[in-house]
Amino acid sequence: MADIRTRYDALVIGGGITGMQAALDLGEQGYDVLLIEKYASIGGIMVGLNKVFPTLDCSSCICTPRMAESSHHAHIQVQTWAEVRQVEPEGDGFVARIERKARYVDEDTCIGCSKCELVCPVDVPHEFDQCLGARRAIYIPHGNAIPQKAVLDVEHCIFCGKCEKVCPTECIVFDQEPEMVETRVGAVIVATGLDITPMGKKPEYGGGRFLNVMNPLAMERVQSSNGPYGRVLRPSDGKIPRKIAYVQCAGSRDRSIGIPYCSRVCCMYALKQALLLRHYIHDVEVTLYHMDIRAFGKGYEQFYRRTMNEGVRVIKGKVATINEVENNDVVVRVELLDEGGRVEEHRYDLVVLAQGLVPAWHAHGVVACAEADDGFMATPEAKINPSYTTLVGVYVAGVAAGPKDIPDAIVEAGEAAMAAAGRLQRIGWHRAPAAAAAAH
Amino acid sequence: MSYRLNPGLSEELAEFGGSTVNKCFNCGNCTAVCALSEGDTVFPRKIIRYLQLGLDRRIEESPEPWMCYYCGTCSETCPREAHPGELMMSLRRWLMTRYDVTGLARRLYTSTRWEVGMLVGVALIVLALFVVPGLLGAPFGFSAVQGDALEHVRLDLFAPKDVIHIGDLILAFGLLVMLGLAAFRMMRFVMRGEHAPQAPLAVWLQQLPQLLIHGVTQKRWLACDRDTRGPWLRHFLLVSGYATMFLLVVAFLPWFQRDGADFHWTALFGYYGTVALMALTVIAIRGRLKKADPYHAFSHVTDWLFLILLFLTALSGILLHVFRLFDLPWPTYVAYVAHLMIAVPMLVVEVPFGKWQHLVLRPVAAYLVAVREAGARARVEAAAPQAVAA
Repeated sequence: MADIRTRYDALVIGGGITGMQAALDLGEQGYDVLLIEKYASIGGIMVGLNKVFPTLDCSSCICTPRMAESSHHAHIQVQTWAEVRQVEPEGDGFVARIERKARYVDEDTCIGCSKCELVCPVDVPHEFDQCLGARRAIYIPHGNAIPQKAVLDVEHCIFCGKCEKVCPTECIVFDQEPEMVETRVGAVIVATGLDITPMGKKPEYGGGRFLNVMNPLAMERVQSSNGPYGRVLRPSDGKIPRKIAYVQCAGSRDRSIGIPYCSRVCCMYALKQALLLRHYIHDVEVTLYHMDIRAFGKGYEQFYRRTMNEGVRVIKGKVATINEVENNDVVVRVELLDEGGRVEEHRYDLVVLAQGLVPAWHAHGVVACAEADDGFMATPEAKINPSYTTLVGVYVAGVAAGPKDIPDAIVEAGEAAMAAAGRLQRIGWHRAPAAAAAAH
Repeated sequence: MSYRLNPGLSEELAEFGGSTVNKCFNCGNCTAVCALSEGDTVFPRKIIRYLQLGLDRRIEESPEPWMCYYCGTCSETCPREAHPGELMMSLRRWLMTRYDVTGLARRLYTSTRWEVGMLVGVALIVLALFVVPGLLGAPFGFSAVQGDALEHVRLDLFAPKDVIHIGDLILAFGLLVMLGLAAFRMMRFVMRGEHAPQAPLAVWLQQLPQLLIHGVTQKRWLACDRDTRGPWLRHFLLVSGYATMFLLVVAFLPWFQRDGADFHWTALFGYYGTVALMALTVIAIRGRLKKADPYHAFSHVTDWLFLILLFLTALSGILLHVFRLFDLPWPTYVAYVAHLMIAVPMLVVEVPFGKWQHLVLRPVAAYLVAVREAGARARVEAAAPQAVAA
């Protein structure tokens, strides 16, 4: 892996679909981009999704080409397993301090042969599969990962040395140290994406204690053909779930847990997952409890209708409590608003919480951009310059700026890239020949 | 059935403390999270919907607000911070003004000036009762403080038991009539409603014990999902202390009111009642100040006055007792009058027109709901006898 140079045109923080798109849009114009990703592979959330609404395209099939393109692009340098620690204005541009975390594997020599992970005796719940599957203590992040390079999880490694013995290129470096590197850039694009809303403040929903209450990303993995089970099974006993419920607004539009906003995508991803469950499991009963259905995008309302036509039951009423009963079945209690306000309890094999979106990253202490009240990056000119942050030269795109779906994130990535390109032209950063020559 | 809407209902409720009606977006979380909301008795959302629509007659016809014991779970989990528990609370205040025929309850709840004015007015009448007879030449009250009454505590001269006892009985009778009237009005409202209990007389009689059970134990409160044993016990002890004192004064006054330092066993009950009142009013006042529990987060003026009056009643009673034991004539007489000037207004104003109506309204509501449920069960059984047998 190439060393990080002392100068680039733009720094993109976050290697998900938004960050990759922004980097590509800049790279295609000839700007040199440094793309920093904290995980060991680029691809972000999208590469772990099963299918995308409303087209039901295979998510990884349309995401992996972007990943490959980003990582092979002449003007884009991808650095995974690294985090931006500080971005400070300096002259016309910025100086960025980036930590390359210790991978304990030499990226230049690792050939991604997988021999290390095959001999590693340690099984660890795999974050990429929402901890439903396992990985090894040394592992290649996942089948579609880019780069296909191993990373060693020093927290769980028992230092038995088996991987080192079997590695054909002797690329395992147990004494690797994290490294701080400094570079100068003319513009920064923040594309740090999302986490799903934590459920700790919602004890009525079990707070993660119930085996058969899943988060939506776990359901994406379970539905994926390369997921942890390879088919849809429920976690507690591996049986095929025949009765499944979706609980909408589980962590959105809820002032009691401090998240008053609508996360925008939950209705659609839940409808999509529910529809696919009807395709994947014969005779499955899928019920979706909601406050309202917000199907706002192109083709979304039609998709909502289709979902109902294909047998997903959509019921108005916010689920108030979720409890586990014998056999790890799950009981939800809800007022059926369209049926005279009757309160009923229903038992399910599996419940999916349609958790909302929260920012995965906070600028505080890294770059002097303000946050909005909702915790996402502040966008003071949200209407006319949606990618502008409170700091000139730093732009934001995707969910880092607020909840949105993939098409909107891609549009915003393009907007941020154009705004950054305009700035690079304006300040003459790209053309500064002396500096460029020094850098190359 | 047609209804006249009251578009100003939510503004009206704001005068009773509930100002969040229009925050509610009807998700149904509150109803489903409430363990007491079951069968045909569903609240708070349905009732809040009535509020939003201005269906005041429907609300009058609903016993549901009285089935809520304000554990606060709905308020804590409400996605809109619409505080459904507090809305139910203010709705109970509003309903009491609907049950009241005099219009005084409404004045009391919507105007602090009226409330304080009425309390002070009744207190002055009590004071006058100890002053005026003397001016007219009767040896009662302050005019009786002469001779031996100056040397020793002689309540038998200052306020003879038989006279005071008659006053107590008149007071108790008046309160009973007013409470009965409120309960009657509530029943009439509920019976005119769409969901009125429908049951044969036998069921009405069969369910009568519910009235007593709920009146004495408030046991539905314990069915809340969260642990309500603490608040339930505190409420129970407070009521037991209060009821003890009330009975001592109304039924046992000839034995309870003593002179000098002589002791009668009724004093033991007096000590219990006093300790319970003192301790629990202090705990409740502290709770309302700290606002740690959801049901203490909002305090209406009447909530404060109620606690303060109870506390002062107990305090003045203690002073009266101590002064008498130490045989201090004047302090005893003054404490006696002061005690009555606090306790009587509290009873006359707060019981028939204020918060204390709930002591009959809750059991009556529980009774009506029990009859409604039993009636519905009977109808189901009558419709499908074989299914029940199976």
